[in-house]
Amino acid sequence: MLSRVANNLFWMDRYMERSFGLLNLINTNYNSALETGDYSSWIHILNKYLNISKNFTTPDNYDDTISIIDYILFDDTNPNTLLNIISYSRENARNVQEHISRDIWLSTNKYYLYISKKANRSKFKKSNPIKFLDELKEFNLIYLSSAYVSQERGSAYCFMNLGKYLERTIFSIDILNFKILELSENNQSLVESLFLKNLIFLMGGYQLYVKTYKSIFNIENIIEMIIINEFFPRSVKYNLNRITQNIIELDQYNQIIGENELVYNAKKLQNTLTYTTINSIKEIGLNSFLFELKNDLNNLSQLINQRYFSQL
Amino acid sequence: MYMEFSYLDFYSIISLIFFSTSFVKNFDQKKENIFFNDDYEHYPNTWDEMFKNDGKVRRSYKFLEKFLNNSSFDSIKEKQDFSDQFFMNQGITFTVYDNDQGVERIFPFDILPRIIRPNEWDTIEKGIVQRVKALNLFLKDIYNEQYILKDQIFPSRLLLTNPYFITQMKGLKTPLDVYTHVSGVDLIRNNDGKFYVLEDNLRTPSGVCYMLENREVSRKLFPSIFPKQNVSSVSSYPQVLYNQLSSLVNKTKPTIVLLTPGSFNSAYYEHTTLARLMGVELVEGKDLVVDDNFVFMKTATGLQKVDVIYKRIDDEFLDPLVFNDQSYLGIAGIMNVYRSGNVVLANAPGAGIADDKASYVYVPEMIKYYLNEKPILDNITTYQLGKPDELDYVLKNINKMVIKKTDGSGGYGMLMGGNSTDEEIDNYIKQIKKNPTNFIAQPTLNLSTTPCIIDETLSPRCVDLRPFAIFGGEGIKVCPGGLSRVALKKGSLVVNSSQGGGSKDTWVLEKNQNVK
Repeated sequence: MLSRVANNLFWMDRYMERSFGLLNLINTNYNSALETGDYSSWIHILNKYLNISKNFTTPDNYDDTISIIDYILFDDTNPNTLLNIISYSRENARNVQEHISRDIWLSTNKYYLYISKKANRSKFKKSNPIKFLDELKEFNLIYLSSAYVSQERGSAYCFMNLGKYLERTIFSIDILNFKILELSENNQSLVESLFLKNLIFLMGGYQLYVKTYKSIFNIENIIEMIIINEFFPRSVKYNLNRITQNIIELDQYNQIIGENELVYNAKKLQNTLTYTTINSIKEIGLNSFLFELKNDLNNLSQLINQRYFSQL
Repeated sequence: MYMEFSYLDFYSIISLIFFSTSFVKNFDQKKENIFFNDDYEHYPNTWDEMFKNDGKVRRSYKFLEKFLNNSSFDSIKEKQDFSDQFFMNQGITFTVYDNDQGVERIFPFDILPRIIRPNEWDTIEKGIVQRVKALNLFLKDIYNEQYILKDQIFPSRLLLTNPYFITQMKGLKTPLDVYTHVSGVDLIRNNDGKFYVLEDNLRTPSGVCYMLENREVSRKLFPSIFPKQNVSSVSSYPQVLYNQLSSLVNKTKPTIVLLTPGSFNSAYYEHTTLARLMGVELVEGKDLVVDDNFVFMKTATGLQKVDVIYKRIDDEFLDPLVFNDQSYLGIAGIMNVYRSGNVVLANAPGAGIADDKASYVYVPEMIKYYLNEKPILDNITTYQLGKPDELDYVLKNINKMVIKKTDGSGGYGMLMGGNSTDEEIDNYIKQIKKNPTNFIAQPTLNLSTTPCIIDETLSPRCVDLRPFAIFGGEGIKVCPGGLSRVALKKGSLVVNSSQGGGSKDTWVLEKNQNVK
């Protein structure tokens, strides 16, 4: 497989996963703002995920919320909006059509056609935002299921998975960092429980959380679940296991024998997580722990680049 | 039934007005059938594919008559919407820019198929095989012994002035002596009912994916009538292409790649489709590298040697060391590798000398010279303006002529005398007089018409046919079908996709079948 193709496959899934995270973020923040009446959280999202700090005055009502969501979804000048993220994913898919299943291509292309159709932007403004966001999320779910059931197993699938799991891991770390930071800026006692509940909703792990921790919303449980729960599909540990597995499978598909720096580092990071507990995180401090983890992930990402995309 | 075939460059001939895909928008709830009212306006002195001059339906179209008689406007509109959505969802689109905003559009598709009877196809197939064979022999000769020049059948001056003649090809023997691996021959049916060759395309002929996708959508649109018509299958085209390309090297599993200019090329969808259906890598110039006089592709796990390149980029951009030194699309040094016999290029560089409009005039003589046969498919009468007497005749009858540049394509840079103002004609004549040998002229043709669904009713529109042929170790194979391009503007002769043309599926009926 061409290096360029491998790179396209990797980014096709990264962008698609990013869009999924962004939709979850919008959805949760919308609900959270409605419940608390605090619309200022949108400013943090615009700063952190859309990379803008100007043009939007602090939102203080529902209409502002709709304008901000409209911007996050449809603005075509900001590279971090849903419209652009999906168009990047689709452009990557377009370049590798001979390596992906027709179902994947069709699901990506239909998503792009939907989000780029001007009439659908008008539709958003007239309809219930949650209903519209759910419609968009369905495109992501169709994409994920199409990839799972229709894509042949082999190098292409591994590159897609590497992109997806790497993006998901980074999203989980970022959201933890971002939300915990946001929490420390607010009056914790008033809204902490609600806030943490929304956070776990955002991560899609509410049901598992309740089963595991019996509705006791505290920060330690949340951190434990997002970082080291091996059954939660958005936890750092779960995704690192998948990353390592795909790196090893890539070597097998390409008949590469023996350990190498990439496999070594992936396994090392996997082991670190295996022997991490909530107490050890507390000892290091959450910020330091996440900082170090993100550095290790960046290093892993660079090694993937060097090994598979360096022929570009 | 897989036959030897040839195919025309998608961006040739006459032009077209952009056809809005919303042409069925006015379909309403009317229940009466007006497809077969008396409003079908035959073009004067023109062959219609479906209707005879007396208005009766030709036998091969009876099933279509029955289908239309039993169809409501709503059901037709539903089918048209379905096909539009099908092309859009598949990403078979091109981008139109308006105020810097890219809008994706589909290539308009008329759902009614164009029918070719078995005996008609027999002539087309044999004619294309004969023509491609002769053109291939011409290329072999012109880049080697040049007997045709010595015998004064083909004028030497046409070589000297032709930019498509590539000196780097001189003395080069190609594998199996094949130069024209994939070709397209544009055909039109004149008012005498016979097919004529309008143009040969031997460089990077495109349009084949529309042939494949049009068939795909037709099968979905007409599930009850398609199987009964015994339509020849076109679906094996990618496998035939793969086999023919494989036959060019003495290797069990050669590495074949398709070289594309990239995703911004208007034919990119076709490139991805062919690569996908053949199971080969789609590469760009930057994915390939020359090392130790071999071509390698840059894979995720290292360099991999390439044996055959099906190139879909123009010769000019192929090798910056030999041709256009500004080209980023090609591969530096690839011509040296090719000349050393370490990689096969299909089509062979320099094939353009054979499909040039100036060379077109000589194809009937090439057929006689190389094959000692009478041409099965005739050329259109063509005047060479480099000849003073022919120039004089054309200028006197310019209102009845279509004049083209010999190196033009896509329907651009030509003059349709009958539809031009005096000022346009005067300006064009000035261009001709600067260098008459760069122009040819043909009498304005009466392209056959085919019924299309336009504004709630059937309306005739001009149509051509581009079949596709593949030349390799198994001889010349012509795919039984092709791309029927229609000029969707009333009265227009311009069918080019680049100028807003549309297309139809082409159903070649099998022999010995009973039309139901």
